[in-house]
Amino acid sequence: MTSLLLPIVVLPLIGFVINGLLGNRLGKGFVSLVACGLPIAAFLIAVRATMELMSTGTPLVQTVFTWAQFADRSFEIAFYFDRLTAVMVLIVTGVGSLIHIYSTGYMHEDKSYARYFAYLNLFLFFMLMLVLGRSLLVLFVGWEGVGLASYLLIGFWFEDPEKAAAGKKAFITNRVGDAGFLLGMFLLYRALGTLEMDQINAAFLAGPVAVSASLVGLFLFIGATGKSAQIPLHVWLPDAMAGPTPVSALIHAATMVTAGVYLVARLHGIFLHAPEASALVATIGVATAFFAATIALVQTDIKKVLAYSTISQLGFMFLAAGVGAYGVAVFHLYTHAFFKACLFLGAGSVIHAMSGEQDIRKMGGLAKKIPITFVTFAIATAAIAGLPPLSGFFSKDEILWFAFASDRGGMPWLFVAAAATALMTAFYMFRLLWLTFFGTGRMDEKTAHHIHESPWSMSGVLVVLAVLSTVGGFFSVPHFLEGMLPLPPIRAGAASAHMPIVIGSVVIALAGLAAAWWFYTHNGARAERARAHVQPLHRLLSGKYYIDELYEALLGRPLQWISDRIFLRLGDRLLLDGTLDGMASTARGAAGLLARVQTGNLHFYAFLVLAGLAAVLLWGWSHV
Amino acid sequence: MEAWLSNLETLLLGLFAACALIGAVLVLVLREPMRVAMALISTMVFLGGVYGLLGVHFIAAFQVLIYVGAVMVFIVYVIMLLDPRDSAVRRRFSSLLVPGVIACGLFIAALGSLVWDAAGKIPRAAGGAGFTLAQFSAQFLNEYWLEFELTSVLLLAAIVAAISVVQVSRRHHG
Amino acid sequence: MDKVQMLIGLSIVLFAIGLTGVIIRRNVLVMLMCMELMLNGVILSLVTFAYQLGSAVGAVLVFLIFVAATAEIAIAIPIVLLLVRQKRTLDLDAYADLKG
Repeated sequence: MTSLLLPIVVLPLIGFVINGLLGNRLGKGFVSLVACGLPIAAFLIAVRATMELMSTGTPLVQTVFTWAQFADRSFEIAFYFDRLTAVMVLIVTGVGSLIHIYSTGYMHEDKSYARYFAYLNLFLFFMLMLVLGRSLLVLFVGWEGVGLASYLLIGFWFEDPEKAAAGKKAFITNRVGDAGFLLGMFLLYRALGTLEMDQINAAFLAGPVAVSASLVGLFLFIGATGKSAQIPLHVWLPDAMAGPTPVSALIHAATMVTAGVYLVARLHGIFLHAPEASALVATIGVATAFFAATIALVQTDIKKVLAYSTISQLGFMFLAAGVGAYGVAVFHLYTHAFFKACLFLGAGSVIHAMSGEQDIRKMGGLAKKIPITFVTFAIATAAIAGLPPLSGFFSKDEILWFAFASDRGGMPWLFVAAAATALMTAFYMFRLLWLTFFGTGRMDEKTAHHIHESPWSMSGVLVVLAVLSTVGGFFSVPHFLEGMLPLPPIRAGAASAHMPIVIGSVVIALAGLAAAWWFYTHNGARAERARAHVQPLHRLLSGKYYIDELYEALLGRPLQWISDRIFLRLGDRLLLDGTLDGMASTARGAAGLLARVQTGNLHFYAFLVLAGLAAVLLWGWSHV
Repeated sequence: MEAWLSNLETLLLGLFAACALIGAVLVLVLREPMRVAMALISTMVFLGGVYGLLGVHFIAAFQVLIYVGAVMVFIVYVIMLLDPRDSAVRRRFSSLLVPGVIACGLFIAALGSLVWDAAGKIPRAAGGAGFTLAQFSAQFLNEYWLEFELTSVLLLAAIVAAISVVQVSRRHHG
Repeated sequence: MDKVQMLIGLSIVLFAIGLTGVIIRRNVLVMLMCMELMLNGVILSLVTFAYQLGSAVGAVLVFLIFVAATAEIAIAIPIVLLLVRQKRTLDLDAYADLKG
């Protein structure tokens, strides 16, 4: 029982409380110190925990307290630290700390400085809870919590209704996935009586279990699609770019969206025995990757290109997980964290330099004016395209290989689709690079005048991340995780294709680079001409395949119709209000009728006396 | 002679009763209030005659003295005080004429049916045809002396009320 | 027909006519007079019963009724006078301030 794990989780929470309650009164320096210092401290403790893990070789466990206890069952808050957790925690705290430092520069002029850092620390707390949790229950708390933090941060500038709406969209889409997640949890608990993930894995690996692994796997994957923005629940991620750029880097590139991949990797025991669910994971992964890449080809907002790129790369990770190469998926998660964070932060630097402009059609010629940003961005672009020996090459190559050759679902068509996606990835990333940094400046005079390199708090972080993108690939995460996440066996007859595939992936990356250069040099003149020939396709892609409109028509408007017609008009106004009003008017009507007796006319009263008397007497006469 | 006298008595009784009835009906239909008052006075006087024929002479006296002499005089005085050109004189009957008459008929029918077939079945007490003032006074002041005193209280209350009404009207209209 | 029966019948009719008069006539003073007629009907019935039973109790009650009628008219007339002065008419329908 170790005591190292609780501080890792709690330190960011303390940061949230301090900055949330006192931040406004304590000044920016103090807020920055608390907000950045605590995650760095958490990182150092995580390093210490990793060293202890490596020395003892057994996973570290810490039970914090018992949440609920029934007769013989109990739910505990416990943390579990094995090699997979180590990788995740180091990424989250490490990249997280860097992004906190970057934010001190980026958000310097913002009036809600303290609130921003409070939310960011809150996010770290929940994310760490997610990755360190031992049971699915603790993971789910973290899962929901990062959803909440994401909502708060996407809608950070909530006075703008569009940004607030983006936050809502993210949260609601997540919740749809969470329904599946909960169903999976219920099935697991009913079958196994426990939600502790290590015990679940052990149960599934030991032999057949009372519940269908594919069914559970399907439900859990539905949750993962919500969180990790796969089809059909990917619609929230591009809209989430409404939040501040460091938020996009941290949450929507490096950490939160990878929670789905982490979930699948952590519960590999279930997926190893669920071939149907795994096949579905792989298919959806590669489909999402392909589909998002096609949209990214035509996007004109720098952050939206990166958002679709993230969706695409997440698809790659799920592809790897779907064919049984869980360690490879985590490897790509690890490299992606570095280069995607670098890309997003670089984009933030560009936006900062361009005084808020995000449209790449209005950029250009920035290479000489903001050199540090340019160099780091270029390195990260090369990494994502898969040029050796950068980190992206290693992880993407492994994925392509296992997509083709894995015995647990690797198929040629998966490989072909993934390779095509890789080609498009290289193409659109270099397109982005060219349009942003090369050519002549297409911006107006005033903006051009203000272009300046970012302060060291921002560019320093960019440099660190660029370095990590370069050398990170040399640390073989699959090998590190091999003990717990063994690589799948290779199917018969495929082993000979290994070297061709490696060479092929390099060729693809270079081809993408060349094509991008061809079309987009000289401010994209050739691309413009090419576009004229494929106008309908271009429109389809620019409209993101009109999926948002489809959801609105299929789900949004019918729901609104039901709410308006049935619940509001019929249920609320007619039935409920009508009943109450009806009772009141009935009472009023009855009172009105009865009040007619009081006319004030004495004749009438006397008549009533006589008539009543006569009636009584007649009645008595007939009955006597 | 006795038979002829009793016949005369019965005849007179019937005559006085009929006239009282006619007077009452006239009260109902005459237009001007003065004439209505006269009809009522005549009814009361005939009723006084009936009481006299029944042997209760002092009650007959009281009827004429108090009822006609005080109450009706008061009413006649007020009628003379008020404006004869009032709208209530032009239109005699209220809107409830027909229902009122019908209800009246039903009422008479209901109560009348009780006395209709009782002819000859009502026993006469052995006490005699009437009683004198002496008997009446003795009863009144011996057994019903409480009621006697209470009447004086009632009259006192009436006097006080009348005075306060007068004062109210004086305050309102000087 | 028996004397008593006829007199009782007369008293019933007098009472009914009086009550009908209250309903039918518009003039307030005529209504008061009809109420006196009702009282006379009651007095007649009391006297008839006193005659029939030979006891003086009926007469005592009649005396009390005289007193009550006198007191009543002594108060009713001034009230009617005040009312007439307020509404400036003897028409009872004009007094209906209370609306149903």
